[in-house]
Amino acid sequence: MSAAAPAQAMPPPPPPPAMTVGLVGWLRANLFSSRVNSALTVVLGAVLLWALVSLVGWLLFAADWAVVTTRTPLYLVGLYPAAEYWRPQAALLLVCLLLGVTWGRWGRAARGFALGLGVVLLVVGLLPHGMQPLNRALLLLNTAALGLGYLLTARLTLGRLPVFRRVAAALHARAARLYLRRPNRLPPAAWLTVQASRLLNAGAVGLGYLLTAWLALERRPWVRRAAAMQNALAARLALGRPKRLAALAIVSVIAALLLIRGIEGVPGLTPVNTQDIGGLLLNLLLALFGIVMSMPLGIALALGRRSNLPVVKMVCVGFIELVRGVPLITLLFMSRHILPLTFPANIHVDALYLSAITITLFSSAYMAENVRGGMAAVSEGQVEAARALGLRGWQTTLLVTLPQGLRNIIPAIVGQSISLFKDTSLVFIIGMLDLVEMGRVTIQGNQEFLDNGREVYVFIALVFWVFTFSMSFVSRRIERALGVGRR
Amino acid sequence: MAASNQSNGPGAQALDMDAVTRLPLEQRDDIIVCEHVHKWFGDFCAVRDVSMRVKRGEVVVIFGPSGSGKSTFIRMINRLEEHQTGAIVVDGIEMTNDVRNLDAIRREVGMVFQQFNLFPHMTVLNNITLAPQRVRHVPRQEAEAAARQLLERVGIPEQADKYPAELSGGQQQRVAIARALAMQPQIMLFDEPTSALDPEMIKEVLDAMRELAATGMTMLCVTHEMGFAREVADRMAFFDEGMLVEIGSPGQMFSNPKEERTRMFLDQIL
Repeated sequence: MSAAAPAQAMPPPPPPPAMTVGLVGWLRANLFSSRVNSALTVVLGAVLLWALVSLVGWLLFAADWAVVTTRTPLYLVGLYPAAEYWRPQAALLLVCLLLGVTWGRWGRAARGFALGLGVVLLVVGLLPHGMQPLNRALLLLNTAALGLGYLLTARLTLGRLPVFRRVAAALHARAARLYLRRPNRLPPAAWLTVQASRLLNAGAVGLGYLLTAWLALERRPWVRRAAAMQNALAARLALGRPKRLAALAIVSVIAALLLIRGIEGVPGLTPVNTQDIGGLLLNLLLALFGIVMSMPLGIALALGRRSNLPVVKMVCVGFIELVRGVPLITLLFMSRHILPLTFPANIHVDALYLSAITITLFSSAYMAENVRGGMAAVSEGQVEAARALGLRGWQTTLLVTLPQGLRNIIPAIVGQSISLFKDTSLVFIIGMLDLVEMGRVTIQGNQEFLDNGREVYVFIALVFWVFTFSMSFVSRRIERALGVGRR
Repeated sequence: MAASNQSNGPGAQALDMDAVTRLPLEQRDDIIVCEHVHKWFGDFCAVRDVSMRVKRGEVVVIFGPSGSGKSTFIRMINRLEEHQTGAIVVDGIEMTNDVRNLDAIRREVGMVFQQFNLFPHMTVLNNITLAPQRVRHVPRQEAEAAARQLLERVGIPEQADKYPAELSGGQQQRVAIARALAMQPQIMLFDEPTSALDPEMIKEVLDAMRELAATGMTMLCVTHEMGFAREVADRMAFFDEGMLVEIGSPGQMFSNPKEERTRMFLDQIL
């Protein structure tokens, strides 16, 4: 092409090198590049396959899930009185409503999490296990609460309503891309794949078009009316405004906590013995409290450590280094058995509150170091620019360095939160029945379940994984929304 | 105390400037007075016995080899660096450790940095309105209107809602100029404003500075853009080894510098 162009004209840039696409090409390049590699691939593949087959076989046929399904409430809320189960349920409803509102406000950043939680709750609600119809209905109601929260804030636009239209368009584009790939040049296996996916795509595209044409939602008058009403309602409530959203969050979290704990003297809300709050609920409460409270405390400690006032600095450094030097399990033990020695004999501090405070203090020391690192990464020029504009020292910190520092450490904060959530299972040391401890007690306390340890711990691992994975998922979304590494 | 004597209202200030700029330079008052200023970093004497007076509305270009103390010197004018001996008086306010004096001076002195130092977590508009809102307590809408006007003035009104990282270097530096101007300073300091820019972007920043100089702003510019100096500067100051070696009009500096060191340096860079 460049030869035909006039000598003065800039030749067009060369095309990118051809991609060695296709499954076969990738396999050959990465797994079967030499005899040794091929042998390794085969052996490792066989081992993995064998492991997978045994695992799936056990999961589907050998495992006896009765230990989980007949005791579900124990794992979820511990010894919480069965007559009061509606209270944690209602608390969960509040949380779901709040999450729905957040989803409506933040869109993409919260959507995946909200939808994921909705699906999980729906599945759990429909699974066969020993649950009263009322509680099951309440559980299913959570999904509705998510949707309701979304509708209270989101700005729906009619053009976006028919999901199927977008799905169809995406499938269509994919089919077109595959079609452009010239399958006759591909190796036979890849050619087969392409043909097969083409067929599938053609079917899917046709189906998508049919659904779109059939639904054609935005053309129906009642849909238009409903959407207009929703928009008016969302605009009137304006829950999406940061201050209202924050207020709503605080109010609903406090309401949820009060519901769970109960209020003295209010009929129907008899206080629950804190020793009876257990299972996953306990892990979640401790983690939530620890994460929420250790943020401000950690920031304060980090700022204190950067302070020019020697006493403040010394106290903060001392606290941070002391706490970081001791394992959490030791701190928990000390808080229960050694700290009370220093109290007057008539003061009894609840194990739940003690462990919540200990976990918060423990986490805040680590959080402080994260925050300090994040703020140290903010360039000195930022401070100079702020000072040159006449901002005071505290304004510079609050408006310029701290926001940038915190944005730098979102991944670290989430990592910290994940490990905090997992660490909450250490409260068994002071006799609290968290999810893991509940599993142990269930196995050892019931003759018929003595052989079902695997099932219990697989279930517990899955529960922990779902929550920690959700956290890191949300974190990635927030990072993307805030553009870490881009700006 | 000294701060209360200053005219803070934008209207009063504008009137004041008009009257002043009609006067010839010699008859105007000194807005910056430095007497025998020293500054050490450890044992190293970065600024040595510098005395300089700058008239209201004057443009002074400061140049010299790297490490000659010129940046340190202008950073002392708004106390990003502290001077250790000598005296600096800015617009009648003596630079001391008194926080009120310092706040008053920083409100009067805007600064533009080599590395722009825009706040990356804020939009262009928020970068500009932050200080007026937080320091001068201008209402948000008023501050935003002023910010949009300033962006218009530096030629990038359409970038108001972008983030700094989405702009080119030249655009970022123009935002930085607008940000400093939003505080309605009497004096603007420029610390090598074009040194971090690609060649094709230098002109747009210099144009903004030219326009600013034409409005009668007092400017101290550390720069090696000698074309700009020849055209815009009222005086040029040559720094070497922490000392103010020579100060004079651009014509005299370029054609007939008094000091041998000035001549050698100019020969090297021209």
